[in-house]
Amino acid sequence: MTYVWHLGVMVSLYIAVALSLNLVIGESGLLSVCQAAFYGIGAYASTLLVMKAHWSFGASIIGTLVFASLSAICIGLPSLRLRGDYFVLATLGFQIILYSVLYNWADLTNGPNGIPGIPPPRVFGIELASPYRYCTASFAMAAVIGGFTLVIVRSPFGRLMQAVRDNEVAAASLGKNWLLVRLTAFAIGAGLTAVAGAFYAGYARYIDPTSFTVMESIFMVSIVVVGGAGNFRGPAVGAVVLVLLPEGLRFLQIPEAIAANLRQVVYGMALVLFMLFRPKGIAGKYGFD
Amino acid sequence: MDNAPLRCVGLTKSFGGHRVIDDLTVSFEPGKVTAIVGPNGAGKSTLFHLMTGFLRPDKGDIWKGRRRINGLRPFIVARMGIGRLFQDVRIFERLTLLENVLVGFPNQSGENPVWPFLLPHVVRRQEAAHLAAAERWLDLVGLGGRSSGSAEELSFGQRKLLAIARLLALGSEALLLDEPTSGVGRGMIDSLVALMKKLAREGRTVAVIEHNMSVVADCSDVMYFMDAGRVAAFGVPSEVLGNRSIRATYLGL
Repeated sequence: MTYVWHLGVMVSLYIAVALSLNLVIGESGLLSVCQAAFYGIGAYASTLLVMKAHWSFGASIIGTLVFASLSAICIGLPSLRLRGDYFVLATLGFQIILYSVLYNWADLTNGPNGIPGIPPPRVFGIELASPYRYCTASFAMAAVIGGFTLVIVRSPFGRLMQAVRDNEVAAASLGKNWLLVRLTAFAIGAGLTAVAGAFYAGYARYIDPTSFTVMESIFMVSIVVVGGAGNFRGPAVGAVVLVLLPEGLRFLQIPEAIAANLRQVVYGMALVLFMLFRPKGIAGKYGFD
Repeated sequence: MDNAPLRCVGLTKSFGGHRVIDDLTVSFEPGKVTAIVGPNGAGKSTLFHLMTGFLRPDKGDIWKGRRRINGLRPFIVARMGIGRLFQDVRIFERLTLLENVLVGFPNQSGENPVWPFLLPHVVRRQEAAHLAAAERWLDLVGLGGRSSGSAEELSFGQRKLLAIARLLALGSEALLLDEPTSGVGRGMIDSLVALMKKLAREGRTVAVIEHNMSVVADCSDVMYFMDAGRVAAFGVPSEVLGNRSIRATYLGL
């Protein structure tokens, strides 16, 4: 049963990430390959705030949300002015820089050794120590993030994000500050992903830089691509499928060493096949152009 | 309407050594439809790009009343009440017709992502008013009844009408229309001519680039004939279009 709760936690975390990333990729048309960096910022910032600054878990969530959003604004401001490809490169650059910082700033992050012994978070006085409790809490977190993104997408701001995605020149001619719109979408996506990252740290109880690599960012992008962008269902379905798919491999009695590599192959193939044959993903609204 | 004339004074713009706009001085008065006519490459669309901030002039100034507007970013120019219809239309393809028009409304509180959370009822009330107005604009351009359809499925002429509806939602004091009638059906052209006249009567400044001479004769109060980035002729349409040399040189009559 513990195994099921564990899968529930992982699925919930990735649903939260996929829904926030969908604001960036799907609604705003910005291909960001640094979402794992924001996930990592969330994990490290909340852990350090709790363990070193003795903040409560709830306060650390707010802190990390603000911090991740501000870092997104710093990367977005110079790169979002330029079109598509430059933004992708800038996010890739940030992803690599952040990994190096986590790896090398040993005084703060304990470098490659990571941070062990993270205390289980307390939410409303309840210690999230058991997998069942953690599953419930992270599911609730994913639901709150989902509701938040839903309100955003259905608001006039959501419509504006889509308009800027479709034609920034037309948006400008209607008096819309498209750079601000993109920047806001990118910052919100980063902040929400960081919240999921904080929940990851509290669950894993140990974090190190290898959880927040560019491979992880690409995995997050593939969730949105395979599930489908531009609506609520797509990214959620993608998270369920891509998290559970490799678990299926476990039951095929494949040796662990091979299974790990096979996972990457399966993800890569899924990404290519969906881009080619079903750009709208399993349940998405928009294709990628 | 507190509207001021638009004036371009001594505008010059070159691309790679080629002068597209050459020391051009033109003015557009409120309450009038001003047509801009001229052969391809005369610099008509470039003039609109300069006036809306998408291009910066090499020399010269653009004024809206007493405010100098050259060098301002396009979205600021739009917020100052200068709306623009693009020759290549530029609709939001993956939005519905209704959503396309809804984006046009200025000062939407819900476009700041904070307010849908903190003041949802204010956002909803404003949205309901915009929704009703958007349906009216769509009706006016003959696209009523298909407002929930995808903009992607429209023909070129219909896209143009949609872009006009969106521009009407913006409610600018000055409208720069780049070939509003090209690709639009005959019946709709008459409505557009009537619409442009009505907008001018309301006190707006209407500038229109047009190739259809009967539309120019029907709707415009004054016209510029442009060639090689300069004004070749200016006056009321009957005069300019009756000008012997203009007829012979450009219209092949």
